[in-house]
Amino acid sequence: MATMAGVSLSSPRVLFSASESQRAHTVKFPVLLSQTSLSRFGSGRMIAVRRVRAAPERISEKVEESIKKAEETCSDDPASGECAAAWDEVEELSAAASHARDRKKETSDPLENYCQDNPETKECRTYDN
Amino acid sequence: MASCTVVYTTTTQSLNKNCSFSSKSHLGFHHQKHLVFYKRSSSKRGSPCVITCGAAAGDQTLVIGLAADSGCGKSTFMRRLTSVFGGRAEPPKGGNPDSNTLISDTTTVICLDDYHSLDRTGRKEKGVTALDPRANDFDLMYEQVKAIKDGIAVQKPIYNHVTGLLDPPELIKPPKILVIEGLHPMFDSRVRELLDFSIYLDISNEVKFAWKIQRDMAERGHSLESIKASIEARKPDFDAFIDPQKQYADAVIEVLPTQLIADDNEGKVLRVRLIQKEGVKHFSPVYLFDEGSTISWVPCGRKLTCSYPGIKFSYGPETYYGHEVSVVEMDGQFDRLDELIYIESHLSNLSSKFYGEVTQQMLKHSDFPGSNNGTGLFQTIIGLKIRDLYEQIVASRVEAPVGAAKA
Repeated sequence: MATMAGVSLSSPRVLFSASESQRAHTVKFPVLLSQTSLSRFGSGRMIAVRRVRAAPERISEKVEESIKKAEETCSDDPASGECAAAWDEVEELSAAASHARDRKKETSDPLENYCQDNPETKECRTYDN
Repeated sequence: MASCTVVYTTTTQSLNKNCSFSSKSHLGFHHQKHLVFYKRSSSKRGSPCVITCGAAAGDQTLVIGLAADSGCGKSTFMRRLTSVFGGRAEPPKGGNPDSNTLISDTTTVICLDDYHSLDRTGRKEKGVTALDPRANDFDLMYEQVKAIKDGIAVQKPIYNHVTGLLDPPELIKPPKILVIEGLHPMFDSRVRELLDFSIYLDISNEVKFAWKIQRDMAERGHSLESIKASIEARKPDFDAFIDPQKQYADAVIEVLPTQLIADDNEGKVLRVRLIQKEGVKHFSPVYLFDEGSTISWVPCGRKLTCSYPGIKFSYGPETYYGHEVSVVEMDGQFDRLDELIYIESHLSNLSSKFYGEVTQQMLKHSDFPGSNNGTGLFQTIIGLKIRDLYEQIVASRVEAPVGAAKA
């Protein structure tokens, strides 16, 4: 039997799932492009979960942990694939931490953000005297 | 005028009778609107039907590839590029907050890490890095980039850099310009064929080390040793899989330590080379003074006063991986506006729309890394060149008869 995912014809924003043959996980959790995503729990009830971006502090902890793990992994065999993969994880997390810091800086002041892109506007003028 | 085509993206090419649809001629801002229906049945594989309504054949998405290692300035480059096109690039509204995608009015930037086939745990178990092709799904990358280029929206996976997991996918609609950035945009020959223009950021080992120290030293747990260890452990895979892609790039931005200060290893003053391939359609290289000549130029002197250690430019034809290229090189950094505008006025073929546009762009983002040296200058110039490329291609499509672009 054919079932269709929620589709609103009047809206250009349409929910759909990718072909099952491509990736299993894409079918399991179709994501609505909205602030909240719905997760189905054991009871079958739909619970709205607001997804939030990870704070830089939390990523920092992960960076620290990953470095310790990489040092451990590499003490056995520094030329192994596992060692390279462990340091690659450090790199990935360090980059993520840096991006999170940049974003935090960027979004702390909406006026500041606006003026970055529109320095010539009235509200962005600065006066010395 | 709007036209609608029905596309069946299944392995079985037969027409799916259970597919019901209603189409609508819709020409809003996005050049293509689509409706996608998905049928699931327990007995056999579902077939998505995609109905695409486009504005005739003229609006194919331009695809740009940007390759570089992690921590080598791809994000900054993207911000400069989208700024040249006007409008701010932001993550998709209301989507996954850890999405790697950036969307502006004209441009969508997707991160190729989203095509990891192995998540963090999978890579750890198999002992492969993200740089290894075995950790990436090039078939899916090709299929989806091709679909977008053909005006079809896709559900792209999201690789979550914080959790190391593959998150539920997000919808990517065909933009005017699609930038694919990451470790492997030019690795797979099929994906490479889809690129209208490609850029490689080539950061020398010394500078990479200096940049990562700047980025990571404040991070708890990091030390000079850990930063060095990470670069060294990744280097064999980087050399094997990432670095060779530069031979395919239409433009390479090479970042090296300065030669103006003897034995400098601080990595603060940089020598940056813009390597531009000759003979690329819709791309005419920037040059200094006289196209095709070899030139060495120190702008600082009687007419212009520069601060220590000064600025030095050079330009000339070279060979790069067997290709004819034109190279513009800048060593040193700008400290004042008059230095920058003076240099801009001596560069030709910039594809700027007015005198001083390069300088204006650089000033607008003076807080971005590299705004006072060749990295910022050449990134901005490449941004202008891509805008020019886009405008030329659009213009040529208008001239060409409708239907000629249809394969």
